[in-house]
Amino acid sequence: MRFLLRRLGFYLIAFWACITLNFFLPRLMPGDPVSRMFAQVQTQMRPDQIAALRQLFGLTDKPVWQQYLDYIGNIFRGNMGISLSRFPTPVSSVISSEIGWTLLLGATSLVIAVVLGNLLGIMAAWRRGRFLDSVFPPLLVFVGSFPYFWLAMAALYLFGIVLGWFPLNHAFTDGVEASWSFSYVADVANHLVLPALTIVLVSIGGWMLGMRNTMIATTAEDYITMARAKGLRSGRIMFHYAARNAMLPSITSFGMSLGFVVGGALLTETVFAYPGIGYQLLNSVQALDYPLTQGIFLTITTAVLAANFLVDIIYVRLDPRVRVS
Amino acid sequence: MSISQSQRQTVTQGDDATPPSAKRSILARVTGGGLVHGLLTNKKALFGLTILFLFVLLAVLAPLLSPGNPSNFTADVSAAPSSDHWLGTTAKGQDVLALTLWGSRSSLSVGFTVGLIATFIGCLVGIASAYFGKVTDELLSLLTNIFLLIPGLPLLVVLAAFLPPGPATVVIVLVITGWAGSARVLRSQALSIRGKDFVAAAIVTGEKTWRIMFLEIMPNMASIVMSTLLGCVIYGIGAQAGLEFLGLGDTSSVSWGTNLYWANNDGAMMTGDWWVLIPSGLAIALIAFALAMINYAVDEVTNPRLRAEKKD
Amino acid sequence: MPKNKRSTSLAILAASAVLGAMALTGCAGGHTANVGKTSDGILRIPREDTATFTSNFNPFSPTALPMTDQAVFEPLLIVNPMTGKAVPWLGKSWTVDSNGKGVTFTLRSDVKWSDGQPMTAADVVSTFTLAKKIQGGYSYLSKVSAVNPSTVRFDFNKAYSPGLYEIGAQVIVPEHVWSKVSDPAKFTNANPVGTGPYTKVSHFQTQSYELDKNPNYWQPQKQQINGIEMLAFAGNSGANLAFENGDVDWSDQFIPSIQKSYVSKDPAHRKFWYPATGGTIQWQLNTTKAPFNDVNVRKALSMAVDRNQVATLGESGYTHPADCTGLTDGYASWKDASIVNSCDWTKLNVAEANKMLDAAGYPRGANGIRSLKSGKPFAFSISVGSASSDWISVAQVIAKNMQAIGVQLTVSSPDWSQVVDSYSKGTFDTGIVWTNAATTPYEFYRGEMSQDSVVPVGTPANEDYHRFGDAQATALLNQMAATSDPATQKTIVNELQARFKATAPAIPLFPSPVWGAYSEQNFTGWPTAADPYATLSARSSTTTLVLTSLKPVK
Repeated sequence: MRFLLRRLGFYLIAFWACITLNFFLPRLMPGDPVSRMFAQVQTQMRPDQIAALRQLFGLTDKPVWQQYLDYIGNIFRGNMGISLSRFPTPVSSVISSEIGWTLLLGATSLVIAVVLGNLLGIMAAWRRGRFLDSVFPPLLVFVGSFPYFWLAMAALYLFGIVLGWFPLNHAFTDGVEASWSFSYVADVANHLVLPALTIVLVSIGGWMLGMRNTMIATTAEDYITMARAKGLRSGRIMFHYAARNAMLPSITSFGMSLGFVVGGALLTETVFAYPGIGYQLLNSVQALDYPLTQGIFLTITTAVLAANFLVDIIYVRLDPRVRVS
Repeated sequence: MSISQSQRQTVTQGDDATPPSAKRSILARVTGGGLVHGLLTNKKALFGLTILFLFVLLAVLAPLLSPGNPSNFTADVSAAPSSDHWLGTTAKGQDVLALTLWGSRSSLSVGFTVGLIATFIGCLVGIASAYFGKVTDELLSLLTNIFLLIPGLPLLVVLAAFLPPGPATVVIVLVITGWAGSARVLRSQALSIRGKDFVAAAIVTGEKTWRIMFLEIMPNMASIVMSTLLGCVIYGIGAQAGLEFLGLGDTSSVSWGTNLYWANNDGAMMTGDWWVLIPSGLAIALIAFALAMINYAVDEVTNPRLRAEKKD
Repeated sequence: MPKNKRSTSLAILAASAVLGAMALTGCAGGHTANVGKTSDGILRIPREDTATFTSNFNPFSPTALPMTDQAVFEPLLIVNPMTGKAVPWLGKSWTVDSNGKGVTFTLRSDVKWSDGQPMTAADVVSTFTLAKKIQGGYSYLSKVSAVNPSTVRFDFNKAYSPGLYEIGAQVIVPEHVWSKVSDPAKFTNANPVGTGPYTKVSHFQTQSYELDKNPNYWQPQKQQINGIEMLAFAGNSGANLAFENGDVDWSDQFIPSIQKSYVSKDPAHRKFWYPATGGTIQWQLNTTKAPFNDVNVRKALSMAVDRNQVATLGESGYTHPADCTGLTDGYASWKDASIVNSCDWTKLNVAEANKMLDAAGYPRGANGIRSLKSGKPFAFSISVGSASSDWISVAQVIAKNMQAIGVQLTVSSPDWSQVVDSYSKGTFDTGIVWTNAATTPYEFYRGEMSQDSVVPVGTPANEDYHRFGDAQATALLNQMAATSDPATQKTIVNELQARFKATAPAIPLFPSPVWGAYSEQNFTGWPTAADPYATLSARSSTTTLVLTSLKPVK
């Protein structure tokens, strides 16, 4: 319990630090959303029109510390402000309309990568030097060496444009109403294949190697030798004895990766025009939509912190050593 | 990014799981120059080093191999690979081979600069944290963990979008987002060395703090520092390319990332100009793969159990 | 090794399950993907500047959704930039006071709102009250009043004849709806009531939405298409990909190598038309800084720019060099041929440029770089926003051209916000910039050389970033605003062109093309060079003309 409370305290400090960083980042840099808007529409406006726009967006000249206090106060009231590029829609509703897609894409690809990667890692470690162990790791590392966006583009080009197997963009066929029907779910899955595939391809190598290496360390432990000596079946030793213990580091990585996936899907979402928050983050950065950028940033950060706390809780349950220390 | 991240983690975890007796033997190997020898006899390392060397050579020789400004436009647009243009030309008539050669200069220099600075900061923070312990450790670990938790790419995007574009900005941004991972790995390694007798002995004999940190502790974790450095370089090259692909770098410079940004912008995918898209992407992959192979070899050399050997 | 067999097969099973799931969805998706391409009478248009859509059909909002001003609401008149003629729309006819101090509009009597109520002069009056309150602007407008239900009178507080077109372009909203809205600035108008052809919102999703027919439209015979579907993309490449793949019918963003990437895939149906009637794109020099305050320097720099190269390499050859009137093809009827034919400083002439710079006192040093009168090297930056890839290419060409006259120009391409900020405050050296585009050349020349639009460095400017003012031009502009007589206006514009040629306030590069491409697979009746009833822009006021002219292919 002490351990968890300590961790909780840490996450709260981290949360505060992120809020503060988040607040100051856009404000320290030059640029102004209203001038940006002119550039985009390529028209010029008169001073009174600009004044009206500033008034509308609340871009007033309050002192920074006051803006900071307002900002923190609002965060704790769950109010992340109003999006400038989506005025007058609140940031929270812009994010909530998109986060589902990012979670779907992130969770799907993460689960596939983790399950498949760990499985491959276990097998590779168990059968050292065999086909799986000698061909897969370098191959996956090589595939994983390609930049996310490049693999995404290659997949889009090959399977989307040339072969026409999969749609080129968006999360489902435009204009189709969301429902729990088979056709809709299949449609969503179909749009998910290419974006998820790229993330899986890039990340699976890391999982496989990680698992393989810890597995190798684990198989040298005395209790494995003991199990072998007892004449237990190899599969049983592999999954119930070795893999179970080798999973621990994987769980820590899982918490970290969750955050990486939510944010890291940004490039993939951009290539596939997938309507998640990563795509939106880039869009809002380009539009100098401070509140939306901050909101997305905060959402991603909170997700990462929460995920890590969750992992800590699970870790404590799985690893008694942590409880003692 | 996730690859290098998880690799970095496995490195420590693998070592944590190693019994103390094995650790001593690693130390002996590393301090005895075994690392270099080990690497030079390791196939993976040789493969990686060869590729790396070739790329560095091409980058250095770029002005000789393809003189003139590679971004110059010509009238020979969207030409497929031929004897005139080995890798074809872009939609603006730039020679793809020239762009790729010149691009390696920016990509490699940014990658290695980021790797070196991030690893240096990581060493400093990690070792200081482990050496001083107590409040220093608490504070530095807190800082490290916070930076580690802030999702890298979104932070990169936000930072890069607002700072004036240019190689310096890219380096700064990548270092800010990249140092924490190495600090964490290096701290836990330094922590285990901090507890060794020879460190205690050095403290007792009144050796200077910085000497203990950099001359006693650091050499004993050379392999970890090395693999951290490699991880950071991979991260630097990949993240730079990602940033530039999103149009957040200096779009008027020539690097692998900007090459791909322009290829995408000029609709290379729709016109089917595959020769514009492939070289820069492949170059990034090859260099990252080469570095990963060296990293892999470092692991194998220092951790005998990981060496490919037949079991049973 | 029989003992390992089970685990191997387990993994294969797991792997094949994953692959199988992918293959399964692949089949299912192949089926649904085709639905979008069949002709269902829905016009599909991609939008490249937004990652997702958020409901907002408030025409007074700067962030209103696309088609709000084109399909949902309508203006009093629509000016076709191709012909320069105004097409009567909600306003049947109008008269401008001869002294330029007011306009009277007569409204159509058969226009109904989409909820069935008739549109009257009261709606127009309340629209302008709202517009002034929310958006600002219309500073010349002293009073808007309903003379009778079908006549609206606009009184100006000064002579300002160009006001006709600004007033005419304002879309009209229903008073009976907006009078009940407590905060019109923040009203998102999710279910809009308008006079436009497509007002009914359906299938609103973050990635797309559809607008269906207005049941009470005043020109039902012109509602040939069944509806409009807008698709969201954050960036040109995604939108272009959807277009080139045949998923959408009409696209108005820049498409690189359009002939190869789009048209060649189905030349019978796929067309594009890029008339050069957008604003003039120019290279502006900060005239508050030496040596750009010297007209001969400006002209010499201009003569060193290879505009043909700029047009071919930077803009893929979709436009042509600008002349020394600065006017685009949209003002063809205003151009003074004698001035156009005698243009000297917009023609490439490196030798003459060098001669002029030598004569003006900027000698070339040993390294080939000229030096300024202050002794510093003649080296400056040219700013352009990082998002505008085509203009970055333009800047690169210019930078290269400048080497021939010993001027060192470095391309600086930060974010547009920083660029615009430096333009606005007057801190930039030089930069690529757009210019005002309006119905008459009045707005263009006001932004180029009116003393009234010049503000000091440090004070934010909204036009005339280069901060050039000319007394004669200012007087001419004031005269133009005070007359509604076309012949007099023409004479004044001729004199303004002469002033522009003489003073070279900025360096015009090329008229910006209005991008637009379409497929006749599903719809016909598009505007073309032969039938220029509108441009192919999907975000201007003429878009309404296109929407009411298209016919589905049976």
